[in-house]
Amino acid sequence: MTETGPIISATNLHKTYKMGRVKVPVLRGLSVSARKGEWVAILGASGSGKSTLLHLLGGLDRPDRGHKDTAIHFEGKPLGKMSRHELDRYRATQVGFVFQFYHLLPELRVLENVTVGAMVRHGLTGFLGAKHKVNRRATELLDAFGLGHRLRHRPGELSGGERQRVAIARALINQPRLLLADEPTGNLDRKTGEAILDSLAALREKLALTVVMVTHDQHVADRADRVIRLADGVVAPEGVPGAENASP
Amino acid sequence: MYQLLLTRKYLTSKVMPLLAMAAVTLSVATVLVTWSVMGGFLNTLLSSGRTLIGDVSIHWPNVGFPYYDDLIERLEADPQVAAAAPLIETFGVVALPDDQVHGVVVKGVDGPSYARVSGFDDSVWWRPIDEPLRKDRETREDPRLGGEGYHAGTDWNALLESGLTLSEPDGEAAVVPGIELSGWNFRRASGVYVPGAPAMSSRDGRTDYLNLFLPDGELTLHLMPLDSRGRGVETVTRTVPVANEFHSGIFEADSRTMFARLDLIQRMMKMDAAEKIVAPASPFVFDPASGELVQAQPEVVGVDPARVTTVLVRAAEGVPVESEAAIAAFRDRVADIYAEFAEAHQGEVPSSMSILVRSWRDQNRSMIAAVEKETGLVLFVFGLVCFTTVFLVLAIFWSMVSEKTKDIGILRSLGGSTAGIAALWLQYGAAVGTVGSGVGLIAAWLVVRNINEIHEWLGQNLGLVIWDPAVYYFFEIPSDMDWSKAATVVVAGVLTCLIGALIPAVRAGAMDPVRALRFE
Repeated sequence: MTETGPIISATNLHKTYKMGRVKVPVLRGLSVSARKGEWVAILGASGSGKSTLLHLLGGLDRPDRGHKDTAIHFEGKPLGKMSRHELDRYRATQVGFVFQFYHLLPELRVLENVTVGAMVRHGLTGFLGAKHKVNRRATELLDAFGLGHRLRHRPGELSGGERQRVAIARALINQPRLLLADEPTGNLDRKTGEAILDSLAALREKLALTVVMVTHDQHVADRADRVIRLADGVVAPEGVPGAENASP
Repeated sequence: MYQLLLTRKYLTSKVMPLLAMAAVTLSVATVLVTWSVMGGFLNTLLSSGRTLIGDVSIHWPNVGFPYYDDLIERLEADPQVAAAAPLIETFGVVALPDDQVHGVVVKGVDGPSYARVSGFDDSVWWRPIDEPLRKDRETREDPRLGGEGYHAGTDWNALLESGLTLSEPDGEAAVVPGIELSGWNFRRASGVYVPGAPAMSSRDGRTDYLNLFLPDGELTLHLMPLDSRGRGVETVTRTVPVANEFHSGIFEADSRTMFARLDLIQRMMKMDAAEKIVAPASPFVFDPASGELVQAQPEVVGVDPARVTTVLVRAAEGVPVESEAAIAAFRDRVADIYAEFAEAHQGEVPSSMSILVRSWRDQNRSMIAAVEKETGLVLFVFGLVCFTTVFLVLAIFWSMVSEKTKDIGILRSLGGSTAGIAALWLQYGAAVGTVGSGVGLIAAWLVVRNINEIHEWLGQNLGLVIWDPAVYYFFEIPSDMDWSKAATVVVAGVLTCLIGALIPAVRAGAMDPVRALRFE
């Protein structure tokens, strides 16, 4: 399901990392966008800048300065002009992250791992006021992923697929508009990966989510509405297989 | 909110915070036990300082001063004065029945009046007791409980009465030495004294026990009266019965002091009332009755009244004599009364300018100052040692922040702010400090409460004797947990953790979330 109008757009992104004295350019003038409700796959080889792009879109990092027209807009608002506090709020309210290695907090139980996102968003008093509502939503999300019986387990007691489902539930607890998924099936076997992608597709449909998913796997990328292929820190030019490849 | 949750989880699931907590616990407990023992030592010193010397003493050594009854009457007429009592303090030598010879401080007192200015009545040891001491309940070794054996028939009431009046039942003057003086009494860990009873083989092969109980015997006392320049006049020796023994709790007093009835000491020191005579101009005079020359008799021109070296004064209820300012004011009031007395007996008693009027605090000033300074020094040194806890906590928290780098990245990706992440680690530091200090407080309280039992156990099982009464003045380790000081130490313990956690917390907050997420 797609809607018109970009929810997020990035223009002329440059990002260079310093490795000791050596500067390593990762993004070299990358421009991408995603429409509301669209599922975009960013496809590229290792080191092509996929994860860096996701971090920039999620406000975890900032692009290099000094390049003309460099900007990231979320619903028309430039992230570059947001303060640190506004960026924190942006991540807490508008964006959900899903990582390849799940990144669950090992000391917390499944339910706590999901609700911790709401704790960050609402703060102490806000969370205490919304606790029942948050717990109910977390339980519903976990139920939807078939994890209703695992609420009190710790991540170490779950399989890889179960952990990734918990990570997705955590990303969705604050009802974000944008889900940024970094190789969400990269650490799973094909069957489990497919199941995760099915879950993502169903949630996108149900919640009208915009999904930007990074992957190096063409098969996974094919599940998206549109595939953007990265090569050497830029969008691969037209004619390269898979580049700017809108799904039917 | 997430800080509270993670603080709780990290506290209960990690070993490293337990190490930090253990460091804080040990530091807090060490400082508290030290402070309690030193503070207790000082408090006991202050209170015991008054046990046998009253609140203020008026003192004129060697020859003493007369008309002390008038002085006592004037003192007791003042509303600030509860009681006053005469005393002669001198040095002497005692020879015990087993030929031991000891140098002692001899205090000649009138038992009943002395008891009104001191804790003498409570310190007389051999008396009837209804209940065994706390730790003597099982063994019931205390002969004062009656029971069987040598002391079964002892009339403890008569002994007590003798001790309080320093008199034998027939009225003969007696002495009350300190319970440690003879070395015949064995102090049990419970605080009970048991008179020695060494086994002896008799000629027919039986084993007899020689019961050493000083109040059953007598001792020989040698005193040397002094003239006004402190020169000895002649040694006076008397054999006197022992009425009882006393226990003040101060080792020095209990091993080197002996009380004797005032009139006995006055006689021995030649300070009793005596006729004042004038030698005749010629050795022979003409006797008109017989018409012969007879030996001239000295002329009695008056009576030289009895003297004492000291009058002890006790303040009335409500005079806060523990306070340095109050006791100084009370001392000055006593000095004023003495000045009026000296004015009334001008030329016969020492002037108010030369008499020594000292408070109990004045008499113990050097020792009190030494203990106060030592307390400060010991606390400073321990405080300095405990400050290393800051660096220990810093190292542990630094390591934990490194270990939890990925968690920090996750929380930042969820919208956690720099300040929020720093607050998590500060809160964690405060929690470690609070728990560690709380456990330290409980541990210190338990140690302080049972310090003498612990010391006794160490002595019995490891041969470790830290507290020697001969060195530290008191028989038991004094300890006194002051809760305001305890609160100060607990707060300092929490602050120590907060300071130690500060740098790791700032580091965690400033961590680049992207690098944190990529941390392996």
